[in-house]
Amino acid sequence: MARHTVCRVQDLPVGEIVPVNAGRARLVLSRLKTGEVKAYAGRCPHQGAYLEFGCISDLTEAERPNEVSVDPSCSVLRCPWHGFEFSLENGQAVVADDHGRFLKLRPFDVQIEGDDVIVVT
Amino acid sequence: MPIIDTDVHESFSSLQDLVPYLPDPYKSWIAQGAWRGIPQPFCYTSPGNGNRADVVTDDGSPVASDYDLMRKQVLDEYDLTYAVLTGYFYPTMLKLQYGLGTALAAAYNDYCAEHWLAKDDRFIGSIQIFARDPQAAAREIDRMADHPQMRQVMLPVVDDIAYGDPTYRPIFEAADRNEMMISFHHTTHAQGPYGMGLHYMERRALLPVALMPQVISLIVNGLFDNFPRLRFMVLEGGFSWLPHVMWRLDRDYRMGRVEVPWIKKLPSTHCRERLKLSTQPTEDISAENWVKLIELMGTDEILVFSTDYPHFDFDSPNAAIPRGLPDDLREKIFWKNAAAFYDIDIPPAAASIAAE
Repeated sequence: MARHTVCRVQDLPVGEIVPVNAGRARLVLSRLKTGEVKAYAGRCPHQGAYLEFGCISDLTEAERPNEVSVDPSCSVLRCPWHGFEFSLENGQAVVADDHGRFLKLRPFDVQIEGDDVIVVT
Repeated sequence: MPIIDTDVHESFSSLQDLVPYLPDPYKSWIAQGAWRGIPQPFCYTSPGNGNRADVVTDDGSPVASDYDLMRKQVLDEYDLTYAVLTGYFYPTMLKLQYGLGTALAAAYNDYCAEHWLAKDDRFIGSIQIFARDPQAAAREIDRMADHPQMRQVMLPVVDDIAYGDPTYRPIFEAADRNEMMISFHHTTHAQGPYGMGLHYMERRALLPVALMPQVISLIVNGLFDNFPRLRFMVLEGGFSWLPHVMWRLDRDYRMGRVEVPWIKKLPSTHCRERLKLSTQPTEDISAENWVKLIELMGTDEILVFSTDYPHFDFDSPNAAIPRGLPDDLREKIFWKNAAAFYDIDIPPAAASIAAE
């Protein structure tokens, strides 16, 4: 197990994806609206796209067609290649495949020490 | 074995048959010949000009306008338990003034009730509407839904706005509140992306291309989610394409859910739960491949049998569905799946045969 100081907390604006290197691993970091910092493996489990080129938005929801709202408490990362949505809270894809299986981003432990963001790999 | 034929086309002899059921001014327009209908927009060769060449009425009137002939050639010939009348005349295809279109639909429904449904308890009726005026179409559904033999609303394929479009929502609301099901059928508006095709086989091969978009449109625009009681049937549009559409939509949903969060289930799940496809026109595939195809669909409760009487590419109940299929699967295709769709019981006589 290795600890990597990858950036400072103020380098992580809420709603943005920040790519970092942790040893030889490429990761993506994002700070949630709650202040919690999440770290995931930098490539999509679907077809390997670099997630740092994706985007973050609030989860859309609707009960009726063309009446779309968002859930501001749930941010999702959309993969830059196919647009699959992943919850930033737990890394799980929003939509399951036709076998009921959910893709999941590989998470890494994050520790905040002072202003430092430390990722454990 | 009971048989529910989900696609039997009945017709009037001519537009004049509708005159007694039309209000003025449309009554006088039709009666006086101010409008005489539309000709077929193609010229393909077939022995019966698109119909079975042996469907010939004594007086030379158009095929499928004679109940006795239909009874002899299909109802009694194959001992059908039920035959779903799906019409020949679809006012929605007419790009004309809304008042006339709506009046024609209502007149046709009254004509059909009197001259067809009343003649045989085996008939299940389809409410014809003028879908281009959805509010008026909804009123027509409300008007006709009390008829005990009416079980569905017929939506003919048009070439401009697919039926999932919010424009048509009042039609589905009316079907839902009246517990009617929804069926789609191709028309002369059904075209491929390059038109109808120059030859018969070209047009016929293109028909599924006109029906697939209806399924896609309904699911993507939330009809399956918003109307959980409604069930949908695609008639004469082929069926071997369904695995492709299910797989494609599932992938596309994973990619594009952000725009359509009103969809709450994978599209393939919606298809398996509430979509039926009629078997005619069957393709010449082996029993083994039928089974493979159904396995790919993920359920054996989608396919429903149809003859498409009186059309040229009629499917005989005795030959179209391979006898090599498992008995329980043949039962589902020939009647059980359709009975579930229409929520109907089979008559006691047929039920006793089914139990043997």
